[in-house]
Amino acid sequence: MHDRLTQSMRASHLLALLFVLASLGLAAIGAVTGDTFYLRLGTEALIFAGLALSVDLLLGYSGALSLGQALYFGIGAYVSALTLMKVPSFWLAMAAAFAASLLAAIIGGLIANRVRGVYFALITFGLAQVFAKVVYNTRELGASDGMIGIPVIEIGFGPFSVSAGSPVGFFLVVLSIIMGLYALTAYLLDTPFGRVLTALKANEKRVPFLGYSVWRARMAAYVLAGLIAGLSGALYPMLRGFVSPELMFFATSGNAVISVILGGVGTLIGAIYGSVLLVILKSIIGSWTEHHLIVIGALFMVCVMFLPKGLIGFVRPRIEALLMRRPQAGPALAEPARLTPAALKSGSAS
Amino acid sequence: MTSAIIKTLIGGLLAATALSGGAFAQSGPIKIGVVTPLSGTYTPIGQQVRWGLELAAKEINAAGGVAGRQVALVFEDEEANPAVAVQKAEKLFQVEKVDFLTGTVNSGSTLAVAQLAERNNKLAATTVSFADSITGDKCSPNMFRVNARAEQQSVALAAWLAKEKPKAKVYYLGPDYEMGRSTVAAFKSSAEKTGSATGGEVFAPLDSKDYTQYFGQIRATRPQVLYTSVAGNDTVRLLTQLQDFGLLSGLTVVGASGTVTSQNITAIGAAAEGFATGVGYSPQIDRPENKKFVEAFRAANKADPDLYGADSYGLLFAYKAAVEKAGSTETDKVREALRGLTWQTPQGAKTIRAGDHQAMQPMYVVRVTKGKFDIIDNVAAENAIGPDACTRF
Amino acid sequence: MTAIDYLQFVLAPQVVNGLALGVAVVLVALGLTIIFGMLDVINMSHGEFYAIGAYAALALAAAGVGFWFLLVLVPVLMIPLGMAAERLLIRPVFGSKDRHVTTLLVTFGLGLIVEDVLKIIFGANTQRPPTPIPGASEMFGIILPNYRLFLILVGAAIVLGVAYVVYRTRLGAMVRAAAFDRNMAASLGVPVSLVYAGTFAFGVGLAGLAGVLLAPIYSVFPTMGRDFILLAFTVVIVGGMGSIWGAVVAGLLLTQVQALASLVISPVWTDPIVFGTMVAFLVFRPQGLFGRLGHA
Repeated sequence: MHDRLTQSMRASHLLALLFVLASLGLAAIGAVTGDTFYLRLGTEALIFAGLALSVDLLLGYSGALSLGQALYFGIGAYVSALTLMKVPSFWLAMAAAFAASLLAAIIGGLIANRVRGVYFALITFGLAQVFAKVVYNTRELGASDGMIGIPVIEIGFGPFSVSAGSPVGFFLVVLSIIMGLYALTAYLLDTPFGRVLTALKANEKRVPFLGYSVWRARMAAYVLAGLIAGLSGALYPMLRGFVSPELMFFATSGNAVISVILGGVGTLIGAIYGSVLLVILKSIIGSWTEHHLIVIGALFMVCVMFLPKGLIGFVRPRIEALLMRRPQAGPALAEPARLTPAALKSGSAS
Repeated sequence: MTSAIIKTLIGGLLAATALSGGAFAQSGPIKIGVVTPLSGTYTPIGQQVRWGLELAAKEINAAGGVAGRQVALVFEDEEANPAVAVQKAEKLFQVEKVDFLTGTVNSGSTLAVAQLAERNNKLAATTVSFADSITGDKCSPNMFRVNARAEQQSVALAAWLAKEKPKAKVYYLGPDYEMGRSTVAAFKSSAEKTGSATGGEVFAPLDSKDYTQYFGQIRATRPQVLYTSVAGNDTVRLLTQLQDFGLLSGLTVVGASGTVTSQNITAIGAAAEGFATGVGYSPQIDRPENKKFVEAFRAANKADPDLYGADSYGLLFAYKAAVEKAGSTETDKVREALRGLTWQTPQGAKTIRAGDHQAMQPMYVVRVTKGKFDIIDNVAAENAIGPDACTRF
Repeated sequence: MTAIDYLQFVLAPQVVNGLALGVAVVLVALGLTIIFGMLDVINMSHGEFYAIGAYAALALAAAGVGFWFLLVLVPVLMIPLGMAAERLLIRPVFGSKDRHVTTLLVTFGLGLIVEDVLKIIFGANTQRPPTPIPGASEMFGIILPNYRLFLILVGAAIVLGVAYVVYRTRLGAMVRAAAFDRNMAASLGVPVSLVYAGTFAFGVGLAGLAGVLLAPIYSVFPTMGRDFILLAFTVVIVGGMGSIWGAVVAGLLLTQVQALASLVISPVWTDPIVFGTMVAFLVFRPQGLFGRLGHA
C-alpha cells in the first residue's frame, strides 16, 4: 500500500541513496587525491550523524526531545576506547559498546520514560550532565583529561581488512555502519511498531484503545535510540585515538539537536544531512569569525520557527511529487492528507 | 571507462596543484598553526596566546623572518574542547600544511593534540598547559612545553613560603577535577618537604557559585596560609567572598599561577592584595628585554602581557632558533635542534631539557601589591625543574 | 576539631550561608517558575536574561547611576525586552502542538545568541561591581556580610511583593485565570494575549532584577547564565510549576541539602543529589510540592 507516509519514506530513501552516492563520489575523489583531512572530517560528521539520527528517532517519531543523548554516545565511546586499549579488536569494541549502551539505555529509559514533554527534556539533560560530571572526576577514566593512546586498529571483514588509519577505508566503514543504522531504523519505523510510534506522537490517548502499550513503544524507541548513539560513539575513538568527557557534555547533545532541526525533524535522513551541514557551517564560519554561536543560533531559530521540516522539508515534497507522478502511486492521492506526519504535527491539540 | 578518464583527469589536476603547492612551501612563508580557545570560558587565555604570538611574528618578520622566510600564523578556535582541538589541528596539519603547532590551553586538548602530532609526524608545543603529565608520564616525542609546569611553580612558591612563614599551617582548597587535584598535591608535597603543616583540604566543584560553605571549615582549622588552585571566575568568587566575610585579614593566600591573572585581577580588586604565586613570568621582571617586550605588547594590544602572552611570545623565538640551527623545517631535524636548545626570552634564558621536552627557566614568586604583581623571590632554573619523569624517549 | 567548634564554625554558618544562597536561587527561579507555570514555556534563555540584567547594571553603574536606582531601572528596562521576545519568538510558535518543545528550542537558540552578543559588547573577562553595602556583621561567632543580610531581606520583600501581585490582586487573578483555562478567561474578557506577553516580560524583569542583586556576589561574565540554570529548573519542578511559595520552599530546602551534603559527604555529590531530587519529584510527585499555578 502506498499511503502518503510510505511515499515520504520512499522520498527519504531516495535522498539517502543520493547521500550514499555523493559520499562514494567524494570518497573516490579523496582517495585519488590522497586527501586525509576532509575524509576524516567527513568520517567524524558521519559519526555525529549517528548521534543526530538517534535524537531524531526520539524527537521526530515519539515526540520526545532528548537534551542528553550524548550520554549514550559517550558511553559507547568510552567503552570502545577501554576495550581497544586492552584488545585492539573492532568487533569486540562494537560488541562491548552495544552491551554497555543497551544496559545504560534500559536504565535511563526506565527513569526518563516516567515523564514526557519538557520534563523528559529536563530529565535527559540532567542525566547526561550528572553522568558527565562523574566521568570528569573519575581518575581511572582519565578524569578531565580524557584518555589518549587508543591504538589504530585493523578492522577485519572475513578475509579482508581495513585500517582505521586509512582515511578512505575507515570513511567507507563508517558510512556503511551509519547508513546501516539508518536503514534499520527506517525499516523498523515502517513496521507496525513504527506506526504505533507515529500514532503515539499524533494522539497518545487513543493508542491504548488500539491495543498497544504506550510505555512499551516509548521504551523500545528510547533503547533503540540509545543503541544507535552508543554504536556511533564507539566509532569515535577509532577515528581520533582518544576520548574526553566533553563528548558527553551538553554541547555534544545540543549539536545533535541543532543538526536534527537544520536537517528536518522526523525525516531521519534529515538528521544525517543536518549533521554534515552543521560540520560544514562550523568549518566555514569558524575560519571567518569566532562568533559562530550567533550565526548557528540564528539559523537554528529560523529553522525552528519557519522551517519545521528543515532542509529536507524543502527538498522532499518535490521528490514526493516526482514519485507521485508514477502510475503505481495513484491510490495515494485518495488518502486523506492529514495522515502525513507534517499534518499530524500541526494538528490541533487533544 | 569514462569514470576512469575523469579519475585520471582529477588526479592529474590535483597532482599539479600539489606539486606547485610543494614548491611554494619551500620559498613561501613558514606556517605556524594556532589552535586556541577563542570562544567559551578560556577565551581570555586564548587572547593572550594570540597577542603574544602575533607580536613575536611581527618582530621576527620585520627582522627578516626565520632563515629568510616570513612567518605566517593560522588561527583556529578549539572551544577548549579536545574533540574540536584535534579536528582543527588536523585541518592545520593536513590542509594548511603548517610546519609547527601551538596554542592549546586545557591539558586534555594538549595531550590529544600531542598524539595527533605524533601520528602526523609534526611538532607541537604548549605555552599554557601546566599539568605535569604532559612532559611526565604522558610525554610525547612530538610535544614541547616552554611554560613552567605545576611542579616548577610549587617548588618556587614553597621555598618562599618556608622563608616567609616557617612551619605554617596550610589549608588547601582546590577545584574538583584532575588539574585542581594534581596542583594541590604537587604543592602539598613541596610545602610539607619545607616544613609546612597541613590543616585540611577541600575540593569544590568546578564553577562553584558560592564558596562560603567551605569557610566554616577553614575558620575552624585556623590556618595561617590558604593554598588554592581555582582559576578564572572561580577565583573572583572565592577571593571576594573571603573578603566579604572578613576572612582575609591575617591569612596569607597563595595559589597556582593561573589562579590570579591579568584576566581576573581587575574583577577581584582589593581582595587580590597579598596573593602570592610561583610563576615563570611577570611584567615586573627587571630586564631590558622584558621592558621592551612589555612596552611593545601594551602598544599593540592595550593590555599588559601575562605569563600566557609572554610564554607564547617566547615560543616563536625558540622555533626560529631551532629551524635556523637545523637549517630546515623537517620534523626530525627541528626536534633534534629543539632538544637542549637554550634561547633568550623576555624573562631570561630558557633551556629545553632533552629528556622530557620541558623548558627549564628561572622561577619567580610574585605577590599582588596595589593591583600589580611584584616579584618578591626567585629560584634558579635548575633548582625548580624537578626530576625527569618521562620514560618514552 | 571539638564539637562546639564544629557547631559554631561549621554547621551554623553553613546553614546561614545556605540561606543567602537559597535566596539567590529563589530570585533566579521566581521568573522562571512564573513563565513556566503560566505559559507552559520552558525559557532556556532565562539565565541569559539574568546575565543581561547583571551587565546592564554594570554598564549603568559605570555611567554613574546609583545602585538603589538600578534596582528599579534595570527591571523596568528589561520589560520591553521581554515583551519583544514574547511577541517575536514565543507568540509565533505558541499555537503549534509541540509548543513545549518548540518554545524550549527557540529560547535555547536565543540563549546561544545572547551569550555571544554579550561577549562582543562587554568582552570575555570577568567583571564585578563593587559591593554596595560593605562590611560584615558578627553574631554568635557567625560572620555574615552586610550585603548578604540585605539580600536576604530584599529577597523576602520581593517574594512577598510578587506573591501579593499574583495571589491578591485583580491582575494576578487574570493571570491565574488565563493559566488555568485560556479560552474561558478570554470569554470572560481577560485580554489573554496581553496577559501572556506581560507575564513573560514580568518573568524577564525578575531575571534582570536577580542579575542586579547578585552581580556583586557572583561577578559578571558572558557565560554566567548557565550558572544557575540546572538548579533553578530543579527548584521549579520540586516546588511545582508556577508556584511562588513552592519555589521559595524548594529553593531554600535544596540549597540547605546541598550545603549539608557538601559538608557531610563531599562537594562533588551536590549536583547528583540536586538532580536526584528532581528525578524523584518528576517520577513520584510531578505536580511538585505545591502544585501548579492556577490549579492549586
